[in-house]
Amino acid sequence: MSTAEFEKSIEGLEVELSDSRAGLPIEMDARDISVWFGKRKVLEGVSIPFPKKTVTALIGPSGCGKSTFIRTLNRLHELIPGAALAGEVLYEGKDIYSPDVDPTHIRLKIGMVFQKPNPFPSMTIRGNVLSGLKLSGMKRPNHDDIVEETLRAAGLWNEVKDRLNAAAGELSGGQQQRLVIARALAVQPHVLLMDEPCSALDPASTLKIEETIRELSKEITIIIVTHNMQQAVRVSDYTAFFLAAENEPGYVVEQGPTTDIFGNPRDQRTLDYVNGRFG
Amino acid sequence: MTTMLFDSEKIQSLRTQEPQHPWRRRTPKFTWSVALAVVIPALIAGYFLFATAIPDPIVIIIIYLPLQLLAAGVAAAVSKGKNGVADAFIYVLAIGGSIFSLVILISLIVTLFINGLKAVSVSFLTQNNFYISPSTSLEYGGVAHAVLGTLLIVFISMLVAIPVGIATAIYVTEVRGRAVPYVRFFVQAMSGVPSVVAGLFILTVLILTGAMGPSAFAGGLAYAILMLPTVARTAEEVLRLIPEDLRTGALALGSTRARTVLQVVLPAAKTGIVTAIVLGMARVVGETAPLVLVTGTSDATVYNPFNSPIAALPTYIFGNVAQPFPDAVTRAWGAALVLIIIVAILFVIARIIGRGKVK
Ligand SMILES: Nc1ncnc2c1ncn2[C@@H]1O[C@H](COP(=O)(O)OP(=O)(O)OP(=O)(O)O)[C@@H](O)[C@H]1O
Ligand SMILES: [Mg+2]
Repeated sequence: MSTAEFEKSIEGLEVELSDSRAGLPIEMDARDISVWFGKRKVLEGVSIPFPKKTVTALIGPSGCGKSTFIRTLNRLHELIPGAALAGEVLYEGKDIYSPDVDPTHIRLKIGMVFQKPNPFPSMTIRGNVLSGLKLSGMKRPNHDDIVEETLRAAGLWNEVKDRLNAAAGELSGGQQQRLVIARALAVQPHVLLMDEPCSALDPASTLKIEETIRELSKEITIIIVTHNMQQAVRVSDYTAFFLAAENEPGYVVEQGPTTDIFGNPRDQRTLDYVNGRFG
Repeated sequence: MTTMLFDSEKIQSLRTQEPQHPWRRRTPKFTWSVALAVVIPALIAGYFLFATAIPDPIVIIIIYLPLQLLAAGVAAAVSKGKNGVADAFIYVLAIGGSIFSLVILISLIVTLFINGLKAVSVSFLTQNNFYISPSTSLEYGGVAHAVLGTLLIVFISMLVAIPVGIATAIYVTEVRGRAVPYVRFFVQAMSGVPSVVAGLFILTVLILTGAMGPSAFAGGLAYAILMLPTVARTAEEVLRLIPEDLRTGALALGSTRARTVLQVVLPAAKTGIVTAIVLGMARVVGETAPLVLVTGTSDATVYNPFNSPIAALPTYIFGNVAQPFPDAVTRAWGAALVLIIIVAILFVIARIIGRGKVK
C-alpha cells in the first residue's frame, strides 16, 4: 500500500471512531492488529471495537484477511506454524495475548463457527451438542434442556428431534453447520465468531440462522464474516470493510454503523464493493 | 466520546510494527514454577541416586517419576489454575517417554560407535574378506563385499515388494474390489511370518528343487516376503487418510479412476508412501536368518546376484561374533556400525525424495 493510500485508510478511521460506537460499552477491542504468515504480512493495523450485544459484519473480497483476523480474536491464529502478530485484543479489560491469560479460557468465552461444518463424526448429534461441556469440563445441569434449547436456536430441532442418537456424520452439510452452531452455543460463550456460517446453507436455513443471530445478539456479541451483502444488512449493527491490494496486506478501508456503510459510504471503494461493482 | 487521533506519530508506529509471538511470552510466575518443578524433583532423585544404595532404575521409576508428576501438577496449578494440571501431566509423561526412548537409543548408538570404531578404517570399508582368517589383525580385510551384498539383496527385495505392496494397498483402498477382505487377511497373516520361515520357504521352493543356487536373488526374494506386508499395510493406512473429497473432486473433473489414483491420490500420499517404503526396508535390512538359509556366504566380492553365494552384513556379523578371537568380534561390531550407517543414509535419501515440491 502506498503511503497515500495508507493515510487515506487512517483518515477514514479517525472520523469513524467517533461514530455511535464510541459511547457504548465495548465487549472486545482489537487494536492495531497486524498479522504475518512467515515473512508475509497479510493484515496491517486493523482496529475495530466490538460493542457489547451487537453484531459486527466483516466484509471484503476473498483473500483480504477476514478469516485471519477473526482467528486472532480467540487465539486460534497462533496454532498455525509461522504465525506472528502485533497489536492487542482487549477483552475483560485485558489483552487476550498477555502471558497470564489462559488461551483455553479465551476460546471457551469466545466461541467460533467455521466456514466448513466440522461436527465430530464419531459422536452422536446429542453428543456433539454437549461435546463442548465435556471438552472444557464446564458443568451445566439439565443436558436434555440444553440440547433442545440450542438445537432450536440453531433451527435444527425439528429435523433431528427423533434421532438425537444418530451419528452426526449422517446429516447433510447444512444440517451439520446448524449442529455446530448449536454446539458452540451450548457452552454459553460471551462472544461468537462466525466465519461465513451460511455459505453452505439453503435460503430457509440461512434465514433461520439470521433470526438466531438477531435473537442471540440480545445476549451476546457476534462477529460474522459474510460475502452476502443482504445478510450483512439484515443481521449486523456495524460493518467493517476489508481490502487488500494484490500481494499487499489487508486493512480496513472503512467501518461504522451498517446503515452508513451501505447507505452512505465515505470511500468510493466501499461504495463500489457494497454495490457489487468489484471484488 | 473517545476520538482516536491518528497523528503522524501513530502512523509511524503502525508502519514499524514488528511481527511478534505474544503467545510465547511467559509470566515470571510461570517461569519460576517450571524451574522449581524441574530442579526440586531432580535434586531429590539425585540424592537417592548418589547417597543411597537403592538401585538406579527403582529410584527413577518409584521416586523420580511420581515426584516429577506431582511437581508439574503443583506448578501448573499455581501458575495456570486447575485447567493446566492435566496438560502438565501429559507434558511430563510425553517428555519422560521421549527421554526414556532417547536414552535407550543413544546408549545403543554410543556402544555401537565405541566398539565399532575400533574396526572401522579405510581398508575395512574398501576391502573384502578374502585371504583373511578370523585371527588376522584388524589392519587387513574389510566388509566392502558384505555392504555390496546387503545393498544388492535389499535392492532386489525392493524391486519385488514395493510395486506389489503399493498395488495391494491401492487394490484395498482405491479399487475396493470384492476380494478386499481376503487380501487384507492374507497381508495381515503374512506380516506374522517369522523371518526364518520366509527363508525356509525360498530354500524349499527354489534352492532344494534345484531351480537356483544360494544367491543374492534368493535372498532378495526371502526379504521381499518380509517387506511386502509392511509396505502394503503402511501404504494402506496412508491412503485411507486421504480425504474422500479429493477423489470425488478429481472424478468430478472427468478423471478416470486410474488417473485419479496416479495423479491425485498417490501424490497427496507421497510422504506417507515413502515412509511405507522406509519402514519396509528397515524391517528387513538386518534380518539374518533367511540369509543364512538362502544366500550362503562368501569372503570374496560377488557382483553376480544370480548364481553365487554372497556375503551380506548380517551374515558377516553372525559369522564373526561366534569366533573365539577378539579381533573377529570387533569386526562384527564394525560391520554392525556400518549397517546402522547404511540404514541412516537410506532413510535420509528417502526423506529427500519424499519431500518433493508442489507441482
Ligand atoms: N495458513 C496460512 N499460511 C499462509 N498464508 C495464509 C494462511 N491462511 C491464510 N493465508 C493468507 O492470508 C491471506 C488472507 O487469507 P484469509 O483466509 O484470511 O482471507 P479471507 O478474507 O478469509 O478470504 P475468503 O473470503 O476467501 O475466506 C491470503 O492471502 C492467504 O493466502
Ligand atoms: Mg475466509
